[in-house]
Amino acid sequence: MSRGASFGRDPGLQTRMVGTLFGLGLLYVVFAAVLFAAMRNAGGAIVICLVLLLFQFFTADKLALRSMHAHEVSPAQAPELHAMIDRLCLQADLPKPKVAIADDRMPNAFAVGRSQKSSTVCVTTGLLELLPPAELEGVLAHELAHVAHRDVLVMTVASFFASLAAMIMQNAFWFGGGNRDNRDNGPGLLAVVAVSALVYAVSFFLLRALSRYREFAADRGAAIVTGRPSALAAALVRISDGIARTPDQDLREVGPVQAFYILPPRAKKAVSSLFSTHPPTEKRIAALQRIEAQLQAGRTV
Amino acid sequence: MGFLDTLFGRTKTVKQVRPDKLFALTTAALDLETAQGIVTTGEAAIVFQPLATGDFTQIADDAEAVLRDTGTETGTTVERRDDEFGYRWMVLRDPDVDDQVVGVNAVMESLQFGGYADRVLCAVFALRQTQQGGRPLHLVYLAKRGTWYPFVPVPGAEKERDRERELQLRAVLDPLMPLEPEMDRWYPLWGAPLGGA
Repeated sequence: MSRGASFGRDPGLQTRMVGTLFGLGLLYVVFAAVLFAAMRNAGGAIVICLVLLLFQFFTADKLALRSMHAHEVSPAQAPELHAMIDRLCLQADLPKPKVAIADDRMPNAFAVGRSQKSSTVCVTTGLLELLPPAELEGVLAHELAHVAHRDVLVMTVASFFASLAAMIMQNAFWFGGGNRDNRDNGPGLLAVVAVSALVYAVSFFLLRALSRYREFAADRGAAIVTGRPSALAAALVRISDGIARTPDQDLREVGPVQAFYILPPRAKKAVSSLFSTHPPTEKRIAALQRIEAQLQAGRTV
Repeated sequence: MGFLDTLFGRTKTVKQVRPDKLFALTTAALDLETAQGIVTTGEAAIVFQPLATGDFTQIADDAEAVLRDTGTETGTTVERRDDEFGYRWMVLRDPDVDDQVVGVNAVMESLQFGGYADRVLCAVFALRQTQQGGRPLHLVYLAKRGTWYPFVPVPGAEKERDRERELQLRAVLDPLMPLEPEMDRWYPLWGAPLGGA
């Protein structure tokens, strides 16, 4: 295994991802400890939160597709798209996802679904019009890489406690019941809410960072599967130009599924990169260029 | 993909093709011909995704040259065709299925040897069903999984496959060759640049 062994590896990215995951894990352990101490008062409320989060997890993909007005298409309705995904799935050794098209002029694509088998890859009509076949293939491979990496599951699990913390903040009054009698036995309501707020704030940034790393990883996966990193880079340029040119009113409907897009719909310059779910396009293109260089060097780099 | 690959978002492609199960066709072809009247059209192809690198071009050209050299003995001719999806079909023409299999295997092995096994999509063998008015039938070999499946396009119809016939063939082929168990992966290959399609 001389050739191909190192192609597509990125130790730096792995290190950053490990760091982020470690930070999140540490944060969550502390949070769980606090919750556990407060359990006596708020056990029931926490169980309700857990059920709500599970419900969200199982319905999120359908909600996302519905909010985008996406409809599933059969191979007869979109033969080229299906054929392209067929070949990519063969190449990446993946089960075939469902394919959906959203009637939207804004060029974009996203993947939803809890598992590889139940996932759906959705593209907008704007994307289909905008991109030539090779670039479309790159974008589809990026979305399939999200599916292969189980990013929806990973991000859901990673943001589980953050969502719990957010719920506790919003519904603080639930946790107040019966607090007076055993104040000595655990932290008070105020403490739990304060810790929740802190956990939410810190995890917000960590989760955003993790999301950006997953994007880089999916770009890399797409490059490995298609063998054409530059085609994806070209697609990113074309899509970001396309988004910049699209009128604003289209953007309002797209909030909920932002994290799973190929590019975020609001490409505002003013927003700090810390808040962003996606890395800046220039950085992604630079990363893809490095992969192209590895590839051209005979994959021995 | 393992747990850690998922956690770190690492994409792994299959680095090994499995030419071993390819040879199942040589024995199966005899049975197919005598019992089912299914014969080769004389064309088979190995389908791969060409990379735009000097290194890969060199390896692919070498594989083709080797094939041409051995072809002068066996009578196999080679032709290169690119499809609309950017995949390359190296089409081998030979009336003998055994020679086709040997040729396809040679290309797979040289791509594997060059470190590019992950670029191989599949191998396709074009056959004809003489009892059904010579309707086309493709046997597709998934090189990375080492499995086979039949693909029967309906002649004249735009992108329609004969599922019933495919399922019949599944029963016929099952004892002869390792079939792909997941029927989701029986991907159609429309517009295959092969004879009889």
